[in-house]
Amino acid sequence: MLSAMCLGGVTKAHPHVFVDARTGFVFGSDRQLEAIKIAWLYDEFTTLVLFETLELDLDQDGQLNDSDRIKILEGETNWPQNYKGDIYLEVLGQDYPLGRPKAASVKLDANQIEVTFDLPLSKPTEVDSSPIFLRLYDPFFYFAYTIVSVEASPDLPEDCEAQIVHFDPTAAEIVLQDKLAALGREDRPEIENVGRLFSDEVQLTCG
Amino acid sequence: MWLKFSVIVLGMWAVGAAAWGIVPWFEIQRWAVGEQRTFQNVMASALRSIQAGNSQAAWTLCSATAAYGFFHALGPGHGKVLIGGASLASGATLIRLSTITFLSSLAQAATAIILVGGFYFILQIGSADLTDLTETWLAPASYLTIAAIGAVLIFRGARSWYQMSQVKQATHGCCGHAHGPSVNDVATLTSTRDAVALIASIAIRPCTGALFVLVISARFDAFAVGCLAVVTMGLGTAIFNQMVATSGVAARWLIGLGARNHKGMQAISATLHLTVGFMIIALSVGMLLP
Repeated sequence: MLSAMCLGGVTKAHPHVFVDARTGFVFGSDRQLEAIKIAWLYDEFTTLVLFETLELDLDQDGQLNDSDRIKILEGETNWPQNYKGDIYLEVLGQDYPLGRPKAASVKLDANQIEVTFDLPLSKPTEVDSSPIFLRLYDPFFYFAYTIVSVEASPDLPEDCEAQIVHFDPTAAEIVLQDKLAALGREDRPEIENVGRLFSDEVQLTCG
Repeated sequence: MWLKFSVIVLGMWAVGAAAWGIVPWFEIQRWAVGEQRTFQNVMASALRSIQAGNSQAAWTLCSATAAYGFFHALGPGHGKVLIGGASLASGATLIRLSTITFLSSLAQAATAIILVGGFYFILQIGSADLTDLTETWLAPASYLTIAAIGAVLIFRGARSWYQMSQVKQATHGCCGHAHGPSVNDVATLTSTRDAVALIASIAIRPCTGALFVLVISARFDAFAVGCLAVVTMGLGTAIFNQMVATSGVAARWLIGLGARNHKGMQAISATLHLTVGFMIIALSVGMLLP
């Protein structure tokens, strides 16, 4: 989708691509959070667009073959430098740096393409009772993400809990208004922080 | 003069702020996005069914694209800003504005058809490059044109205020009979030239959704059906913009009630030109920035 649509990403505030996302957390043996699991399930129309733009399924058997998979994964996981996958991890109130996709795979299910990969943290981190937030959003809203599940991975420590908090328009509006009201004359709105108000999030806490 | 100007501007801001506070914008937006998603999926299955040889699916496709056009238009976009602004500031009648609204949506559909017809079929340019072309060149071109229209509105509003102040000075003199500018001097969109500029600025940039419908239908050997579907998509968009234009005209009428006489009306019209012009420029420049 990236190569097809995002490079011309000046379109704003009109979602064209709908993504149902599944998420998960990967822990190391030392109880440190090492990576995030992501699955992007594209809507049926976007799947058709991908077929067209990437010239997939040239043999027209309705299935993806190896060369189709390579083409999709190239576009989906070989991100340009300035693209972070619309994936944001907040640890102790700070944006936590993430690596690049690993162990990526793609499948076609009920006319929808799904891309799955692991996104390692730049450095593993401890998780305690102050929540870590995982958010998926496109600041330009060309892609509309919905987090549909957070999967219980077997290595999630017993005292850890991950839960989805869906975007609440009323709450977002109140926070936004407070933010705007708090701005002094010389302040400029922090646009990059506004986008997260409008996204679903996963809260992870341990202990 | 400045007092009058400030009063009118403050009044308009108060009405705008009240509208912002009462209407649950985020809820509406969310609902519209959900509906858009539904119809986008219906479009996909209709296209697949057309590929499988079911010609009845063309009707499903056209209804789905019409609904898609309507709900897609609910998001903040360039057409609405301009249509809304024009209906607020201009002196055009509702019928005239409706015609312009429908023509601009149809012209936008035509641009998509010409782009895909020309580039995809004749020059064999892929759809990825086509969307790149749209986003890199046509979208900024459209915003620039829209910003230019905003500048024209500001110019006309400012000129009208200037003329009114001149008239005032003149009547303060001796002659008594003032050659005031008629209200037509500041009424925008009453000429064909204005209408064409407005339609063109919207039509330059086609919706990517329309481009994709055309490209996919072309791949499925059903380009004609795709064209029809894109026209109904334009009609869906036009119906929404029609609502925007009607509200704009209604708002203009309400604001006009406050005017006691011809001169008051002219002051309001000039102020509307200035305010709407600045709003249009601010929004279109905002869209242009990365």
